Amino acid sequence: MRLGLTPAFLVKIVSSVVLIPARSVHKSELVKMKLLTHNMLTSKSMKGVTVGYPLGINVVDIKVTEVDFNPEFISRIIPKLDWSVLWKAADTIGQLDDLPKELSQEYENDNDFLKKVHHVLLEVDIVNGELVCPETGRKFPINNGIPNMLLNEDEV
Amino acid sequence: MAESCVLGCESEELKFQMEPSGNSLKKLERKMRKCHAVVEKETGIPCSTSNPTKNVVVCNSGLSNGLTEEVVMESFMSFGTLDRIIMLPGKSCCFVVFKNLANAKDAFEHINGKLKIAQDNKPILLGYSETLPAVRPIDFRVKPPGLKVVPDFISEAEEELLLSLVNFDEDEGGDGVMKHRQVKHFGFEFRYDINNVDKDAPLEVGVPAECDFLWDRLKSRGLDFRPDQLTVNHYKPGQGIPPHVDTHSAFDEPLLSVSLSSDIVMDFRHRNGKHLPVFVPRRSLTIMNGESRYDWTHGITPRKLDVVPSEKGITANERGVRVSFTFRRIRQGECECIYKSLCDSHRRKAEDISNEIAAKLESTHVHQVYEDIADHFNETRHKPWPNVLDFVLSMKPGSIVVDIGCGNGKYMGINKNVFDMGCDRSFNLLDLCVESGYNVFNCNCLSVPLRDGIADGVICIAVIHHLANEERRKQSISEMIRVLRVGGRALIYVWAKDQNYYRKSSYLKQNRKNRKDETDITEQDEIKFSFDRVTLPIHTNRKQFLHQDLFVPWKLLNEGTISDEFLRYYHVFEENELDYLVRTFDDVEVIESYYEQGNWCIVFEKVK
Repeated sequence: MRLGLTPAFLVKIVSSVVLIPARSVHKSELVKMKLLTHNMLTSKSMKGVTVGYPLGINVVDIKVTEVDFNPEFISRIIPKLDWSVLWKAADTIGQLDDLPKELSQEYENDNDFLKKVHHVLLEVDIVNGELVCPETGRKFPINNGIPNMLLNEDEV
Repeated sequence: MAESCVLGCESEELKFQMEPSGNSLKKLERKMRKCHAVVEKETGIPCSTSNPTKNVVVCNSGLSNGLTEEVVMESFMSFGTLDRIIMLPGKSCCFVVFKNLANAKDAFEHINGKLKIAQDNKPILLGYSETLPAVRPIDFRVKPPGLKVVPDFISEAEEELLLSLVNFDEDEGGDGVMKHRQVKHFGFEFRYDINNVDKDAPLEVGVPAECDFLWDRLKSRGLDFRPDQLTVNHYKPGQGIPPHVDTHSAFDEPLLSVSLSSDIVMDFRHRNGKHLPVFVPRRSLTIMNGESRYDWTHGITPRKLDVVPSEKGITANERGVRVSFTFRRIRQGECECIYKSLCDSHRRKAEDISNEIAAKLESTHVHQVYEDIADHFNETRHKPWPNVLDFVLSMKPGSIVVDIGCGNGKYMGINKNVFDMGCDRSFNLLDLCVESGYNVFNCNCLSVPLRDGIADGVICIAVIHHLANEERRKQSISEMIRVLRVGGRALIYVWAKDQNYYRKSSYLKQNRKNRKDETDITEQDEIKFSFDRVTLPIHTNRKQFLHQDLFVPWKLLNEGTISDEFLRYYHVFEENELDYLVRTFDDVEVIESYYEQGNWCIVFEKVK
C-alpha cells in the first residue's frame, strides 16, 4: 500500500476481489463498470462544479474476468486516456500490478505493457461501489455494474 | 483504402491506367459487377460485359459526379461515329450510343477500367445495355407554384453598378465568411445563430439608394415593392447554400433575388418528394410568392457544373463566381401563413411547454413508462436500422462510441473493434444491457456525464423526440457535440411527423386497413389527455400523425387482450426541423440528412 501516493479523494473502503478463472464466461456474468469507463466519466454538468474529474472510487466489490486481448485495440485506446487517472484508479482498487506511472514512448511494441493495460482497462469490473465528485463529494452509486450518474433537477 | 489505390489516382500525369495484372483484373471485374448492379437499380436498365451492343454505359460516372457531355464526346468520338449521348440528371452513369457495334466494342476494350475521367481522376467502368433510358430532359419550364424568374431584368451596366456596391475581398469577407459562401447584410442583419433578424436593431447602412431603379422598374410592371433588408451572397464555383426556407416570421412575401455574374441552377424541394431544378440566369430577377416562398425549400447544390437547358436538350454548364442580391421586407408580428409545415411561428404557437412542465411531462410520460414497459419493449425492439449499423460498423478500430439513450442495447456490441458505452434514463432497460454484457451508465441525455471530446462517434436513436421543448432538444444535441472530438461524427434518428414521406412507412403498413385505403381520421375524432397544464391529443396507432406534440399509447398485451396502456409523450419532427436544430451549432457540419421509414435522420461532424 502506497497510501502516500493516493490522493485524498480516492478513498479505498473495501476490496473483496473475486477472481474468475480463465474460461469462456457466459455473457450475462459480465456485469461491468470498467476503469476505461471511469476514465471518461465526470461530474462536470453539476451546478457549481467546474472540472468534476477524476471521480473518486469507493469500491465494495470488484470482479476480474478474462477478456480476449487485442493489442491493436489497446494501443489505439491509450492516447485517448488520461493516463495518470487510470494509474491512480488502478492503484486505488489494488489492481496496479506494476503498471508504470509514466507512459513509455514506444508502448505499441511492448506486448507485456499492453497486456497490463488491457487487464486494468477491460478485465477489472467494479460491481458495487460508488463514484465521488472531487469537488462536491456527491456520491454516485454503482449497483450491479451500473453507475447511476443521474442528477436531480436542482443539481443541474 | 487499398482499393482506391489499385484503381487510384496516384499517377495523375497518366490519363490511362496501366494494364491490369491478374489480381487487379479480378478486382476490376468485381467492381464492374457492382457498378452494373447500381446502374440497374438507378435506371432499371440491366447491363453486362458479355453481350456487346451499340450502347455503351459509363457505369460509375455521370452528371451527378461532374462528368460532362463534352468530356464524354471527346473521349468516345475517336472510336467511331456517335449516335447520341444520354446524360441523366442526378445520376452517376450515362449512356453512349455508337452508330455501329464494332466501334462500340473497340471503345469498350480501350477505355474500360483505364480512362481516368471519373470523379477524382479514377478510371471509368463500362457495360453494354440492350435498352436505353427513356430520355425526359429536365423541363425547366415547370416551376413551384408562386415562383417567377424574369430573364434579363437588368442590363450589363446595371449589373456592374450593383456589383460595385459590395466589395468581397479575400481577407475582408463582409459580415462573415460562411462555411460555403460570403455574405453581407444591409438594413437588418440576418443572424444565422437564431435563424432570424433582430427586428429592434436595424443596421446603420440601409438598402443602398443605387438599387432604387429596381423598384421603379417593378412598379412599371405592376409590383409595388420596397425592401428594407438586403442580403448579398457571394458564391465561388463549387460553393452553394443548403436547402432552406427563409424564416417565415422574419420576412414577408414576396422574396426577390437578382442574380449577377453567373447562371445558376436553384433546387426547389417540397416535402411531398418533388424536386424541381430551376434555371436562374445571370441578370434575372427571381420572385418567390405563396407556396414557393412558404412551403418549398430552395438551395444551391455545391458543385462546379450545372445541368442547363441547351438546344439539344440538356448539357453541363461551368459555374463562375455568382453574386446574388436578395431583397426582403421585414415581417411585423408572427407569420400567419397556411403552410404550417415549415412555419416557425406555427411551431412556436404549437409549442409552449415550459422547462418545468417539460421535465414533469418527461418524468411521468417518458421515464416512468419505459420503466414499466422495459421487458415488453425489449421483446419488440430487435430489428436494427441498417444505416445505424453501417454507422457503427464504420467506426475505426480503437474508437470510442457513445450510444445516448441506448435502450436495450440494440446497437451495442456490434462493432467488436470499438469501445462502446451506452447510457439511458431507464434502470430497467440498463439492466437488460448489463445482462448482455454491455458497458452502460445511467443518466439523462440533457447532461451526459462524460469528458469533453472523448468520443469518436455518438449515436442517439429515437431519443430526443421524447424531449418536450425545443430548448431541451437543442441541449441534448449540444451534449452530443460536447463529448465528440473534433472530426468525430454523430448520428441522430427521430420520429417524423410525416409517416408517408416517400411511400407508406412500415409503421403505417402494419395497420391492415392502411394497406387498402387511406382512411384518415379527422381532428374531431381525437381523444385528448391533460397533464398538468398541458393538454395533448392521444395518437391513434398506425395512423399519420396529426400533431407534433402528442401522446402515443403503448399497449401491454396479456394473452391477446390489452392488459395495460401507457401514454408516451412524443414530439414528432417536421421535415428540416432536425437539420435546423443541428445547424444552430456552428461547430458542426452536416454530412447527410435523410428520411428512413418514418424517421428523420442526420449525420454530422464536429469541425472545430
